[in-house]
Amino acid sequence: MVKFNRTIEDRLREEYFDLLPEIIRVADQLETELRYHLLPISNQLDMFERLIVKSRIKACESSVAALQRRQEGKYFDLDQPELYRLTSLNDLAGIRVLAFPSNRLVEVDEVLRALYPTWKSDHILRDGEVLAHKYFGYCTGSGKIKGEYQIVSMLTGLFWEVEHSAIYKPAPRLRGLVKLAGMQAREAAVIKALNDFNQEFEDAVRLSLEDPL
Amino acid sequence: MKTISTKQQVLDEAGYTYSFDREIYFNRKTKKVFSANFVDDHSEDELVDSIREDSDERRWRFYFNGEPSTSIRSQLERLLG
Repeated sequence: MVKFNRTIEDRLREEYFDLLPEIIRVADQLETELRYHLLPISNQLDMFERLIVKSRIKACESSVAALQRRQEGKYFDLDQPELYRLTSLNDLAGIRVLAFPSNRLVEVDEVLRALYPTWKSDHILRDGEVLAHKYFGYCTGSGKIKGEYQIVSMLTGLFWEVEHSAIYKPAPRLRGLVKLAGMQAREAAVIKALNDFNQEFEDAVRLSLEDPL
Repeated sequence: MKTISTKQQVLDEAGYTYSFDREIYFNRKTKKVFSANFVDDHSEDELVDSIREDSDERRWRFYFNGEPSTSIRSQLERLLG
């Protein structure tokens, strides 16, 4: 009989498809809970304000690659396959809340912190400043699959969507671009410009409310 | 504070090549390998000291945050030649 030696990657792919129904359930539950609890905010938005809740399920190959990325040298330890479990990932099911202008982010953060008080924070930082509030933990839908939610300024979040494969989570072929000093400087300039735009807009709105004429 | 780009320059000048796939800097002459994580987490001075350290040029020396296992070490050694 022919004996096949499965790679760690193959084992993880099998684990992924075993877990998939539960991952979908967690994503659905989190999205529904977040939308419901954010209703008091979204129902009171002014005409110029926007609040979007999006869910996503981490793809199989991204999940395997994420585990591999944790290893220095990016190789799995072939002698210890039991070290690698997809359930150790925090973001198999993920929700992103996008808000414009940014001052709604604080309100959203307070509501969701109260909803998931035991979740751990893992904020995305840039030069010591929080770019996105990020939390992970278990919801009542599963004791096995962790979920994650991010709260981010809509302008930054949409920029990340466009640049996702190049900057935020670079594709292997493009990973080198991120390390180029020029690219890092340009990305930082875009984020700063978006933050400045947000700030200017919020200031203008505040002024117009104080003096409608 | 020294930036990653400055550290990269130090490694470039010392003859290190970056592997995008493995996220390591390596030098086949001195047989040293630095993981990107190690470079991120150590100061430029520490990096320079590590680059200057004497090495046994017959065996690869790994500068990782965590000691690489035998399996990971041998996969990398096979890749680096």
